Amino acid sequence: MTKQKLNHKLRVYSDITQLIASPENPTPLVRVNKINPNKDFQIYLKLERYNPFGSVKDRIAHEMLKAMEVGDRTVVEPSSGNTGIALTCIANALGIPVEIAVPEKIPEEKKVMLRFLGAKLTEADDALCPLFPTEGARGIVNALIKSPATKDRYISPNQYENELNVQAHYRGTGPEIWQQTQGKVNYFFAGFGTCGTITGVGRYLKEQNPAIKIIGVEPASSNHKLPGMKRITGLAEEFIPKILDYSVIDETIGVADEDAYGTAIDLARRDGIPVGPTTGAILYAALRYAESRPGLAVVISPDDAFKYASFYKDVLEREAEASRREGNDYRI
Amino acid sequence: MITEYDLSGFICPLSKVKATEVINNLDEGETVRIILGDRDSLKSVVQELKTRDMKPDFKQENESRFALTFSK
Repeated sequence: MTKQKLNHKLRVYSDITQLIASPENPTPLVRVNKINPNKDFQIYLKLERYNPFGSVKDRIAHEMLKAMEVGDRTVVEPSSGNTGIALTCIANALGIPVEIAVPEKIPEEKKVMLRFLGAKLTEADDALCPLFPTEGARGIVNALIKSPATKDRYISPNQYENELNVQAHYRGTGPEIWQQTQGKVNYFFAGFGTCGTITGVGRYLKEQNPAIKIIGVEPASSNHKLPGMKRITGLAEEFIPKILDYSVIDETIGVADEDAYGTAIDLARRDGIPVGPTTGAILYAALRYAESRPGLAVVISPDDAFKYASFYKDVLEREAEASRREGNDYRI
Repeated sequence: MITEYDLSGFICPLSKVKATEVINNLDEGETVRIILGDRDSLKSVVQELKTRDMKPDFKQENESRFALTFSK
């Protein structure tokens, strides 16, 4: 059977997964203008929200699921939301049942989305499992696929160890960035999570031009409110995602929650681009680079602002309270 | 009467999640016996009981069968 050539100009598709980004149909690169004062250091956001299920995880979910022989088992995966949403949408299209284990602390919007899509949802306390001390959801899934009572009924893509997570970015996101910047990219910024994006894109870009700098962004502390991001520094070896390839990473930068949320809000208000707080964190690191260097940077923007409304609400209420204390509130 | 819940087929933390469900549904004065299949599960469930001031009787039946009996 020959692979159908898709016409992305007409944008007529026979199923939703054909909308997942690829070098022939890339997610957009959009320049950040007003919040970057250095015109000699151009920053482009790679807006992964333009994937059909709303995030960068659509790429890996599709790659992993299509390679799995699920049979009559249920697909189960730990997720802070985006992988779960993408897996559930694709599994729904394929008629495969899905269970997603999520940390209790992810935004309510993501939990609602997963239930809306029909995924069976398990909320796990992060301190639930001594084997995965800060990731109870990973512990739950590990137990489901290894327990004698359940192991025959479940299969997990395991995004933390699945090389297809890296391959999705090595074959897709990396080449897209190279083509879209016409090989002029100097810096690539991405967050540490499962580490598939930074490893796959980093590896591809370094192969094209070893001088490209790959900068990894992590939360400044392990107790953070940046869903999907992981603090790698100081993490015991056994808890570092197995697919992370340190050899492609030139620098690691830690970003505090308030800087991440502040940058995301600033970007929305001044450049009109609504992004999630992890984008805020990664962009904050790029803006620090922009203070002292020339060049062209690409920043991964994993998803949009909408599914973090309840998290932003807390920040905005604090902002309103501070404004009231300073006497800047003129509401009647 | 003591109700027995065999959770030996579940490893930690699934065993702990299931045991917690049992504990949460206990009636006042009710006694239950939970069977666990590994030491990590045993440690987790004992810890959970400790946080609730519940003192279990422990019996190791063999290499991979640990019984905890307790009441509310």
